[in-house]
Amino acid sequence: MPDWKRIIRERMARLNLEGAAEADRIEEFAGHLEDRYRELLSAGADEPRAYRETIAELEDLYPLRQSTAALPRASERAVAGEQRGGTWLYDLGRDIRFAARGMRKSPLFVLFVVLTLALGIGANATVFTVINTLLLNPLPVPKASSLIAVAQQRARDRSQARTALPLSYPDFVDIQTKNTVFASLAGYSSAQVLTFQEHGDSERLFCELVTGNYFATLGLNPARGRFFLPEEDGVPGEHPVAVINYGTWQSRFGGDPQIIGKGIRINGLVFHVIGVAPPRFIGINAIFGPDLWIPAAMMEQLFPNQLQGALHDRNKTIFLGAGRLKTGISVAQAQANLSALAADLAREYPGTNEGRGVMVLPVRDILFGNSMQTTSGVMMASAGLLAVVAIVLLIACSNVANLLLARAAGRQQEIAVRLALGASRVRLVRQLLTESVILGLLSGAAGLAVAVGGLRLLFSSLPSSSNFITPKLDLTVFAFALLVSIATGLLFGTIPALKASRTDVADSLKEESRSVGRSRAKVNIAKVLLVAQVAFSFLLLVIAALFLRSIGHAYAMDPGFQTAHLDVFMTTPGQAGYNETRAKAYFKEARERIERLPGVAALAWSSNLPLWARPMSGIEVAGREKRSRADQLSAIVNTIEPDFFDASGTRLISGRAFYESDQKNTLPVAIVNEKFARDFWPNGDAIGKRIQLPGEKMERQIVGIARNASYTNWAEPPQLCVYVPFEQHYVDTMTLWVRTRGNPEPLVPSVLGQLHTAGPQVFVDVRTGKQIIQGGLFQARVGVGLLSVFGFLALGLASIGLYGILAYSVAQRRREIGLRMALGAGQSSVLRLVLAQGMRLVATGVVIGLVAALLIGRALSRMLYGVGGSDPLSILGAAALLLLISLAACYLPARRASRVDPLIALHEG
Amino acid sequence: MPPTSPDQEWKKGSAELLVLSLLEDQPRHGYDISKMIQLRSQGFLRFHVTSLYPLLYKLEERGWIEGHWVEKPEQRRRRYYALTQEGRKVLRAQRKSWREFVTAMGRVTGVEHA
Repeated sequence: MPDWKRIIRERMARLNLEGAAEADRIEEFAGHLEDRYRELLSAGADEPRAYRETIAELEDLYPLRQSTAALPRASERAVAGEQRGGTWLYDLGRDIRFAARGMRKSPLFVLFVVLTLALGIGANATVFTVINTLLLNPLPVPKASSLIAVAQQRARDRSQARTALPLSYPDFVDIQTKNTVFASLAGYSSAQVLTFQEHGDSERLFCELVTGNYFATLGLNPARGRFFLPEEDGVPGEHPVAVINYGTWQSRFGGDPQIIGKGIRINGLVFHVIGVAPPRFIGINAIFGPDLWIPAAMMEQLFPNQLQGALHDRNKTIFLGAGRLKTGISVAQAQANLSALAADLAREYPGTNEGRGVMVLPVRDILFGNSMQTTSGVMMASAGLLAVVAIVLLIACSNVANLLLARAAGRQQEIAVRLALGASRVRLVRQLLTESVILGLLSGAAGLAVAVGGLRLLFSSLPSSSNFITPKLDLTVFAFALLVSIATGLLFGTIPALKASRTDVADSLKEESRSVGRSRAKVNIAKVLLVAQVAFSFLLLVIAALFLRSIGHAYAMDPGFQTAHLDVFMTTPGQAGYNETRAKAYFKEARERIERLPGVAALAWSSNLPLWARPMSGIEVAGREKRSRADQLSAIVNTIEPDFFDASGTRLISGRAFYESDQKNTLPVAIVNEKFARDFWPNGDAIGKRIQLPGEKMERQIVGIARNASYTNWAEPPQLCVYVPFEQHYVDTMTLWVRTRGNPEPLVPSVLGQLHTAGPQVFVDVRTGKQIIQGGLFQARVGVGLLSVFGFLALGLASIGLYGILAYSVAQRRREIGLRMALGAGQSSVLRLVLAQGMRLVATGVVIGLVAALLIGRALSRMLYGVGGSDPLSILGAAALLLLISLAACYLPARRASRVDPLIALHEG
Repeated sequence: MPPTSPDQEWKKGSAELLVLSLLEDQPRHGYDISKMIQLRSQGFLRFHVTSLYPLLYKLEERGWIEGHWVEKPEQRRRRYYALTQEGRKVLRAQRKSWREFVTAMGRVTGVEHA
């Protein structure tokens, strides 16, 4: 004998009665079924058949139609009388079991919901992980928020007032020793390029020079070995020791357990590894950090050319400070103390320090580089992206809500039976919401998988290196995903649950499932949701199109040098231990060898790598009146060989290029760019005028004017630039610019081969013109990529929603359509009717989206290259795409409507 | 039973009358009621659990019938429903109007009733 009570509990758990009332009813139904079963058996049925027929009693959800009003709910009486403590948890367990059973019954529905929401939640979790990594806790350091940075401030230069500039080492040491506010203050340099040599091969590594108390101030513990001892940052050149980045240890040295005490050869010197930094620590940087940390006392030995004299030279500014204040000291007090120290320094060393201030700021403001604008830019971009993915999730939610509304219409009778049998509305809503939240949680789990994939994709666009930040999928992200999933479940479940539970028992038991008037209201909510979806998708598409057009313009912009036939090769022979004579011989031999390669049109050495140049300050223009001693000119200084203009494609506007005859013992010469010439000699008579570079005794005569180019950033506003001949201005870090006759890529290996022959120990880094542009537009490309992905995601979701709602509405209106056709409406007019119904919604959404796009476009126009915020092509393109896709989404249900057989449709009624 | 079969339309107004009539002579439990309906209609009318009990609870709620759990030796306990005083009144009234309705129908359609 089957356990009827158990079967009823399983099948009719949806009654959700409480306490004794439930038990009584189940007993009564069970008795009924048992009687029926016995009777069937005694009438000669076999057991399976008897079971089937008995069970059919429960599955018949089209019961007797009744004409009277609803009963007061049994459980409402129960609530008034007895409310037992354990019930809540008991009900929850039952709701979950019941929801799970319901889901097993409609796997396609569950699949659709989970996929839709997983995309939305995944997009949110991805963006949130990035924010969590970059902004929420970028520094894996104890009490990171109490870390205070110290930097130089150009007090008189208002444009740089909010830029945290580095300090010179002697300035830093003075501040470190004389301040009265810091409990501990450490100094660190920006990342410096090193040449690492092993088994005769060279490789590029990055290091930061740090003061001996660096790790102690941050409060870190080594993963292996130890950190610096105070004496190791004492006597210059005495202690060649290094701490290695955990990622570098793992990837470059294969996690070698013997790393501690190992000697590594960098820039021709042997340093001993004394410790490994903790995992994930990449210095005081948000995105990119060094492979090694080296005591500041070693800097002149390690970089004999670049940093010669930097331990004492107040002009060589490469250090930032980071420290912890004494207890009870405020940031304002610290600022006052350090400002006084800076004023003392300016009095003591007016030649270098006049006009220099010191600024105190939270460390998080300098994690993204020295400008606080960068940090706020990152925050803005993050907020923008978060808003975009939130919209995508809202679209996904409203899609699912629509689907649930349609399903609720299908479940109306089931729900009515449960209400008639005494289930309370509160219990019903709770149970329907339990279903939604479970769906939300399932989607959240799938969404995390989507996020892991998305993050992998996103971070794979970074160059593969052990010293880039790794995405931080930690508890915060899980908590965020959990919260979003539950909120999602409640969001898409609430309206349908409330609506479904408001089902009037009598009405819906009486009415047919396709009742017209009632569903209209349901469709109306759905319509509003749909219009909002279309509007948001349109908005996202327009923004994506704007950025796409903008990046197209940016690619097409002329940077002032040719990129189509360009290869550049960066070399640092000085770091391979070459002195000036040997380095010059290397440059010469390499040029002569490569000149002979077929396919090479022109080549020249230049000190600047395209888009990586940094301005040098202290340039003097003869005859220019300075407003103060601190009024210093900054310009890009590029040391070049005579053929540079030919190789780079930068045009000379007037005057001459450098000649081989411009030598050390001849007239010092310079070429300036257009901006330099216009700014100082607006009458066009720059040629023949004189300028002086910092550290040089002789003035240089201007012999030519070159076109402006982009030096630091792609499509930047013009900067001042000075070119000087290599023979008159030696630099040991040079880049070979090669102009090729054809495709620049195939030539790379043979050029590298010749460079290696000329100097086997010199590390060489290569880029093609195309890679230079892509590097320059990296952020823009990532931005456009993300916006496009999210835009298309939104469009896809909205068109699925459109399709769903029209298909549902066509199903609801079958009789009406059948009637129209019976009365003589043709197939094409029915097609038009349904298409018009869908496209009216789309058009409304597009109009609303257009208004929003115009408003937001105005705010965005500052970030766009050569495209207005209301670019008609972007708007029209987005509109065309959206209309086309929605037309397709409307067409399928419309065609189905036009094929309704009037006879069948009317008979069904 | 398909949702749109014609006998449902017919049952719509008469289900209450059916149940009340069956309880006129003696209290009956739910299964007994459904069986009686099936037997007396010679299989033409059938009630399932999902349709019968909502109706019973509704009639009980209105005070027309009353349910009691009855335990008999050697048997499961069952819930018996009995007609209340008010139920009897309602039954009489419904019977009367039903008779009038059927007579009227018969006159119009020319179908004689028994």
